[in-house]
Amino acid sequence: MKDGTPTAAAPRIDVPVAITAARVLRLLEVPAALAVVVALWQVVSVAVGNKTLVPPPSLVLTAWVELVHGDLRDDVLASLAHLALGYALGAGTGLALAVLSARFAMLESIVDPFVELLRPISAIAWIPLAILMFGISAKVPVFLIFYAALFPIFVNTVAGVKQVDPQLVRAARALGASPRLILTHVVMPSALPFVLAGARLSLGVAWMAMVAAELTGSDAGLGWRLFWYQEFFAMNKVMAVILTIGVLGFLLDTLLRGLQARITRWSPDASRDDAR
Amino acid sequence: MIDRRAWLPFSVVAAAMVIAWQAGVVSMRQQALVPYPVGVVEAAVRTVKDGSLLTATANSLVRVLVGFGIGALFGIPLGVVMGFVRPVGRALGPIVDSLRSIAPIAWIPMALLWLGIRGNAALFIVAYAAFFPFVINAAQGARLIDRNLVNAARALGAGRALVLRAVVLPSALPAILAGARISMAFAWGSIIAAELAMGIKVTSGTSGAVGLGQLMVSTLYVRRDVNALVLYMIVIGVISLFIDLAMRRLQRSLTPWGHS
Repeated sequence: MKDGTPTAAAPRIDVPVAITAARVLRLLEVPAALAVVVALWQVVSVAVGNKTLVPPPSLVLTAWVELVHGDLRDDVLASLAHLALGYALGAGTGLALAVLSARFAMLESIVDPFVELLRPISAIAWIPLAILMFGISAKVPVFLIFYAALFPIFVNTVAGVKQVDPQLVRAARALGASPRLILTHVVMPSALPFVLAGARLSLGVAWMAMVAAELTGSDAGLGWRLFWYQEFFAMNKVMAVILTIGVLGFLLDTLLRGLQARITRWSPDASRDDAR
Repeated sequence: MIDRRAWLPFSVVAAAMVIAWQAGVVSMRQQALVPYPVGVVEAAVRTVKDGSLLTATANSLVRVLVGFGIGALFGIPLGVVMGFVRPVGRALGPIVDSLRSIAPIAWIPMALLWLGIRGNAALFIVAYAAFFPFVINAAQGARLIDRNLVNAARALGAGRALVLRAVVLPSALPAILAGARISMAFAWGSIIAAELAMGIKVTSGTSGAVGLGQLMVSTLYVRRDVNALVLYMIVIGVISLFIDLAMRRLQRSLTPWGHS
């Protein structure tokens, strides 16, 4: 689903590199593309001629600088707090259920159908019920994040456990390992790449659920701030918040991707993204 | 999947839960804000009879299909070019990645401003959500194609456009269809989010064609009907199951050789 080809991992011999024209051009590719996008944005903004309808990049930038020194920090902190709590609960529950399912077949035969029944109901669909249950509060995004984060990591961990080489398990058993020892020392390490890929998927959907929940059912956070500024028609600030959401989401994913590559460098599955 | 015999513990537990739930709600005599199984069935009968459920579902589905089409229309060509022409891919990759990180629903204030409340704003959100899986997967598909095929076509005198159309696009098709499945799932998730946000934001009576999301908002704030809310959630889940099934089937019938 996402581009995670581990090109950097290829063995490479470091030769002192000459600064060639091609190399410089290559460095300029991304800034050039960025410049083109910003220029296009500016052109559209001028063509439309309405600073509310399409705020020019310069205005958004000044709004963003202003926000960084003002409200934005609180919003970011509120959002990250929602995310941290909801994600810890959701991913933790998902992981625990998956591990327990791997250990106890009876539990799996009960949990798995429930997951398959609930999973198609997206977190978003829970928003109205969550608002009803919790009122407009931080509990709504936390619940939504919890729900969204639960399934990808569960499904991936179960898949990871299923693909463990049965020979390894048999070997460990033959050598007298207890079921618990097999779980912690054979099954889980072997499933780790899947678990981490699931954790990353979970974070992605949790981020989306967070924004949606904050937009509709919260009184703090980045999503809530979007509509707050919309009330004042401060669209340059709305744009600044939108871009902040993008940058933060990107940073979080990059962080987890780096972690994933680092922890499971040994694994050929390290770059896989989901178990489907 | 689990074999049939293993369904027994689940069925027992599920049935016990439903019965206990119903019994609990009945014994509490506080049925206003707690959904209960029989109430959900009643809500189903009621909303199907007055047609509101079917109309709303149809409206949402139409938006998803149109938004999905728009996403494909822009996403597939961009992705193929990004994957096939390396410098373009390197230059646009980070930009696509950061735009992708913006939750589609975050655009709703801008979309409402640009396109209005009559459903087009939701369409924008859906198209935005559907766009990125197409780009990413088409790019991946086009990047991984066999260069020998391209070189062979070149050597036989094919121009760049012909190579793209006759060699690159077909080779990338399995990846594109895998992307389409993700796109469709994203689109269905975000239509509900967009309609919910619009329903909460836009309280005037003339909010265009009401979709499932708006129906949920009015059910929550106006009618206060919890059972109907649960019913709509179930409908959303069932539809996303069907969508996934349909996309899988499409994938299999269009690219029987593909294994992604």
